[in-house]
Amino acid sequence: MATEAAYQGDDPDRLLSNTRELAQRVRKDQRATWFPLLVFAVLTFVSIPVRRYSGHHLDCLAVPRVCTVYSDAEFVYWPIALVLAYVAIAAFYIRRSRARGVGTRVRPYAIAGIIIAVALTGVALWEVHNPPADPMGLNRMVYRLATPGAAIGLALLVLAWAERNRALLLLTLAYLAAVLLPIIFGPVQPGSPWYFYPAILQGGVLLLGGIGFALAQRPLRSPAS
Amino acid sequence: MTGHPANGLDDTVHQRVRLGILTIAHEARLVEFSYLRDNLELTAGNLSQHLGVLENAGLITIEKGYAGKRARTWVTLTKAGQTALAEEITQLKLLISQVEHTDTSPG
Repeated sequence: MATEAAYQGDDPDRLLSNTRELAQRVRKDQRATWFPLLVFAVLTFVSIPVRRYSGHHLDCLAVPRVCTVYSDAEFVYWPIALVLAYVAIAAFYIRRSRARGVGTRVRPYAIAGIIIAVALTGVALWEVHNPPADPMGLNRMVYRLATPGAAIGLALLVLAWAERNRALLLLTLAYLAAVLLPIIFGPVQPGSPWYFYPAILQGGVLLLGGIGFALAQRPLRSPAS
Repeated sequence: MTGHPANGLDDTVHQRVRLGILTIAHEARLVEFSYLRDNLELTAGNLSQHLGVLENAGLITIEKGYAGKRARTWVTLTKAGQTALAEEITQLKLLISQVEHTDTSPG
């Protein structure tokens, strides 16, 4: 809703500043950043019991001696959960866009999200069956990027670009830092008391971000007269 | 024809309401009549007139439909509309920089 006159004059300066103001207003009305953040926070927290109560496999190469530990259920849970999440997010944005009367920029995000999720799942599956010989090598680091967290973070960068949302860009960088921590310091082994901390940290960043954006993007009501 | 930026302004677009419609349609990709009416603070009749001018100039397309039982009118920017908006913004910036240059020139 507009609270002041949309235009106050025809001079070029005024026209340009009003154009910018209208563009900003439309962008604000298009954003529903809190929704994908909360969806992914929930998925991240749900992945903890999925990982905890599913069996783990240990695949080892004889020479050189390199072992890979992985959870079967996660390879089923994450691809399905991510694809369903993007479908739900796209449906939410479209429904909201129809209700508000203004188009949405969700399409590039949903498409990129699904492509990244499928690609990184493929890389992770490849890694399980072809573990890199050098555990500290660069290719090992690249493989470690093939996580659901990285898939969520990279797609959020696309959303930040599509929505031209600097706050989301900053949050996504913080989230990607949380995703990179276990990549830099090495994965936590099953059985370690720290095993679920990366998921708790990543889910926490998404949850807090989602709550923050929900508060910031809630529709402002004009005071009752 | 001189090179003054004011000569490059298109009368159809260089109008505060119509420039607003094109700006919103550009950002939104698809925008509903009531969203334009509320954000530009116009009456329905006034907005319809401006939309008619822009549609006749080929700068927007208007589609009518229903969302449930509610009649809806959706506006989208055409390629010509995008070009016209970009040119208008360029000309406005040129005009402003020329005015600023004149203001700061000695004498």
